[in-house]
Amino acid sequence: MDAFLSALGLFLDPMLLVAVLAGTVGGVLVGALPGLSSTMATALLLPFTLGMEPGMAIALLSALYCSGTYGGSITAILVNAPGAPAAAATAFDGYPLAQKGRAGKALGIAAVASAIGGMFSVVVLIVAAPLLSRVAYDFGPPEYFALALFGLSMLASISSDAPVKNLLGGAFGVLLATVGMDMTTGVERFTFGMWELSEGVHFIPVMIGLFAGAEFLTQAQTLDRVTVHAALDAVRLPTREDFRKCMGTIARSCGIGSFVGVLPAEGGTVAAMIGYNEARRWARDKSEFGHGDIRGIAGPESANNAATGAAMVPTLALGIPGSATTAVILGALLAHGLRPGPHLFTETPTLLYVIFTAMLFANVVFLGFGLVGAKLFSRITLIPTTFLWPAVIILAAIGAYALEQSILDVWIMVVAGILGFVLKRYGFSAAPIIMGLILGEMVESTFKQSMIIFDHSWAGFLDRPIVLVFVALTVLSIASPFVSKAWHRRRERENPA
Amino acid sequence: MTDPRPVREGVAAWPAALLPRDAVVALAVLVFCAVAYWLTTGFDEAPSAMAQNIQPSTFPQLVITVMAVLAGVIFVQSFAAPQKTLARVPPLVPVSAGVMVAFVTAFQTLGIIPAMVLMCLGLPALWGERRWGLVIAFAVLFPAAIYGLFAGLLDVYFEPGPLIPW
Repeated sequence: MDAFLSALGLFLDPMLLVAVLAGTVGGVLVGALPGLSSTMATALLLPFTLGMEPGMAIALLSALYCSGTYGGSITAILVNAPGAPAAAATAFDGYPLAQKGRAGKALGIAAVASAIGGMFSVVVLIVAAPLLSRVAYDFGPPEYFALALFGLSMLASISSDAPVKNLLGGAFGVLLATVGMDMTTGVERFTFGMWELSEGVHFIPVMIGLFAGAEFLTQAQTLDRVTVHAALDAVRLPTREDFRKCMGTIARSCGIGSFVGVLPAEGGTVAAMIGYNEARRWARDKSEFGHGDIRGIAGPESANNAATGAAMVPTLALGIPGSATTAVILGALLAHGLRPGPHLFTETPTLLYVIFTAMLFANVVFLGFGLVGAKLFSRITLIPTTFLWPAVIILAAIGAYALEQSILDVWIMVVAGILGFVLKRYGFSAAPIIMGLILGEMVESTFKQSMIIFDHSWAGFLDRPIVLVFVALTVLSIASPFVSKAWHRRRERENPA
Repeated sequence: MTDPRPVREGVAAWPAALLPRDAVVALAVLVFCAVAYWLTTGFDEAPSAMAQNIQPSTFPQLVITVMAVLAGVIFVQSFAAPQKTLARVPPLVPVSAGVMVAFVTAFQTLGIIPAMVLMCLGLPALWGERRWGLVIAFAVLFPAAIYGLFAGLLDVYFEPGPLIPW
């Protein structure tokens, strides 16, 4: 209670309020822009928050995360171009509804469903994170090693089309994390004689390059694409009848989003797809789905925002990111000298309540902005690509440079951008590489400590029950995309359309 | 996007028709793994007491081995899965990548302000923007705003470069 009151007291500081408000508005704007996501925005903003108080920095990034997830629905509905991957499912019914002249209703449903999902997830975060962190008191190096492997194995299920490629990307990220001086022995690895690399490759320039740089080159491919905007009438609050129709869907999607969000590496995109599918599956009358059913908007939107707070649970409690954006936030925590885990809850409870309050605040504020300012926010899509992307690349370069005032980081950003474009073309995602890069140091250090504890015997892992649970979950998560694919193929063979 | 090149029946559109595209990707990864593994053999050895019998090369070699196994799986899977045709990369993409490289080179040699101005003039023009008034205004206002924000407000230090005497 004291920590909560202290956190509320901090919010009387106008600078903190301004930071959270700026993060919220910025998140909606960035989320609304196709090609820019809250992950990219947090990655771009992170270097500039290093000079802030840790609480203010994390609160700003968390608020941006919440509102950016909602912001993607604006362009998903108005121009059928989701501003964020998590809003892809919203376009299935949002755009058709907008084409029928009811864009205002679609945006209103999206705003309300998102806010409800987001606030529900913050409650989940407040309850679950401290509980999970207490479980982590029983974790030693072998348990953390197994947990990190489980987190990396979940990468397989980010995209069912390329599970092995995701795992390979994660392994590559872990390998990248070995660049630099080995902390135990002082031996330099993969530095090629460059002293600038002796401290390793910082994940921020790599992340900025893989997301912003790669997307910049992708935009260069699609300059001739013309976006058609649906007309926007005034944004309307859902009616009582709309609420009655959507309540079950929103409640179900809050549960789905929270469950998926807690799982490492999953996040809002997966939650939104499952939320949409379940909304459709449970509907008695499915005829309107795909043609403007408001449940097809409420389902994914409440699920993807419900995943935001839930994704912060493993991030804060265990140091395992629940999504790509929380991987960035985890990086911010580490950059500010904060180590996630039980000690974060016992030693800096006020910081955590600042984060919780900022996320709740962001959900309320974007609801208001969404209902009042959706028309204004949608104008962001009118910024010509020819001006927007040079601006993004300049910001990306300065963001990479500002980290340590080193031009090498800018070069790393450029190389990562070109590599990211090539990898994307051949079916590899950027998120697994970033996850691997962030978790790599933890994987290596806990592996080494475990080997010392077990006297270099792998059998030692099998004597630890928590490790066995994580190993079983790891095997399950690696196998599940293949099992699911095989099952679907068998169903198609048995029930040909 | 579909590949516009005509496809003869029974012949893959992918130029290396003997091998699926993912098989070539897997082979490239295997070559990378081989090179990376060879590099790890050149790492200095630490005294056993300091390294606790886990040499600096042990963990990277383990990860590289995992990567090689996964590449092998992709290689095998590539023969079973149908290959989607990839659209050609428009010339503007490598040119834009070259512009990124040129921007960082200018940042390093000329300083941040000239680099930003050149980027704000050159890239919109390259991408087809012909409203020159807007381009010039963008090339003046945006770098000024960014420099003012980061150097002025956020205290990020930029090397002045040879063109800016202050």
